[in-house]
Amino acid sequence: MDARQPILFVDHLSKAFGSAIAPILKGVTFRQEPGQFVAVVGPSGCGKTTLLRCIASLMQPDEGAVLHYGRRFGDPPEWLSIVFQDYNRSLFPWLSVSKNVAFGLRELDKDEKAERVNQALRAVGLEHASDLYPWQLSGGMQQRCALARSIVAQPKLLLLDEPFASVDAQTRIDLQDMVMDICQRMSLSTLLVTHDIEEAVFMADKVVVLSTRPAHVVEEIAVDLPRPRDQLTTKETPEFLRLRHRVYMLVRQQVQKITLEHLPEKV
Amino acid sequence: MIPNRAHIAPFAWQIGVTAGLLVLWQWVAVMHPAPYLPPLQNIALGYFRLLHGDLFWSAIVPSLYRLAVAFLAAVLLGSLAGIAIGSLRALEPWVRPVFEYLRFIPAVAILPASLLLFGATDKMRIFVIAFGSIFPVLLAAIDGARRVEPMLLDVARVNRLKVPKLLFCVVLPAALPSIFAGVRIALSIALVMMVISELIAADDGLGFYILRNQRLFLTANVYAGVLVIGTIGFGLTFALLSLEKRVLAWHRGWRGLLDPKGA
Repeated sequence: MDARQPILFVDHLSKAFGSAIAPILKGVTFRQEPGQFVAVVGPSGCGKTTLLRCIASLMQPDEGAVLHYGRRFGDPPEWLSIVFQDYNRSLFPWLSVSKNVAFGLRELDKDEKAERVNQALRAVGLEHASDLYPWQLSGGMQQRCALARSIVAQPKLLLLDEPFASVDAQTRIDLQDMVMDICQRMSLSTLLVTHDIEEAVFMADKVVVLSTRPAHVVEEIAVDLPRPRDQLTTKETPEFLRLRHRVYMLVRQQVQKITLEHLPEKV
Repeated sequence: MIPNRAHIAPFAWQIGVTAGLLVLWQWVAVMHPAPYLPPLQNIALGYFRLLHGDLFWSAIVPSLYRLAVAFLAAVLLGSLAGIAIGSLRALEPWVRPVFEYLRFIPAVAILPASLLLFGATDKMRIFVIAFGSIFPVLLAAIDGARRVEPMLLDVARVNRLKVPKLLFCVVLPAALPSIFAGVRIALSIALVMMVISELIAADDGLGFYILRNQRLFLTANVYAGVLVIGTIGFGLTFALLSLEKRVLAWHRGWRGLLDPKGA
């Protein structure tokens, strides 16, 4: 392990499904330093989830590599964990909340397991719901349960695949604050994939803007807003507004590109 | 809840109709005695004689033993094989055509063949019952295993689950609702095959008891035997449903059939 290397280096990643369709990813390249919060944004359907699945080794890229401190890795490694968008489908409906969380732990004795599960549940404020089943919880609570499962094994890198997309606006704000707080306290490196530009700028240290298909990195934008960030005061600073404007323009350019490309076919 | 007319009425009707039919039977049996219509007390006598003493050991116990061994084997083998086949896509094209063909063979049709194969033994009867009841379980398990939510499999992969644990901790629970549906069908088939297998070259069991009493024109005992089989079927189905209700409580809750607060 070479500490001078980034915790994650996505090196010219390309991926296509089948031979006939245009590739989804084409030469996606960016790096993430340890402890950094990176957000990947892009027009919807540009292949953000595919990128995340390639990074998590749930899918093999056609070309390029994903390096962890300069090294390739095969199957999903133990230092990495992931929260999926759809909490409805990613939690085990036959396991209680605490057992769902314990699912993230391997080879530990019973007491230690229970202690770690309790810790994770406290971190997301679900300690009172440990014996309930996921389907007895609200959407936001379910996503907190999924979050607890992903941090219980104390990973080094947390991947978030649009984790706040399926909850209501108020819950989304609460979850954003909670995730930022947890990542900072655990000094987790976090990679967030989202289509929400404001969310990306608000949460991340760096925003990576992807193009439309085939996706490549259009621009990387450093976000130097001070932490801890606040939903009200941070979002009112000129710097925040400037960054949001910048990212928005970049994404909109990409969206317009799609519309223009498809226009002649539709007419 | 205070019982009122609306609640009692349907219940009263059910009892009334049943009692009416029994009275009609008894009246006809007494007024016009015929071999095919024995009076109720004779049937009741036959029924209770089956539940006590020698007949219990020579008719009910052998039947239940065969049913239990064959049914449990069918459920166990059917779900294990089904989960393996459903999870390993590569296996399916090889075995699926065989199963799709075999499932259409009525288990009764293989009775003579299995008689040749195993002789008039318990083994033969158990084989026939298991053959008949394994296919609903097997096909339901294949189906259930194939339709496991892909995201749960991703969660399992990210958490580096080994294959045996993946099958038992993710695929099996996910397929369980489907498997239980297959098991319910299997139970009724198993009961049918249990009786039929005891009609051929048998010297004990409920099927044999019914057949022998029919040959001796002891009609009351024939009906008593049939009633005992009905009781067994009712009891086993009830037990299976109670088990399902316990094991799959999460499933009913998940599908929104349970009160979320009261589960």
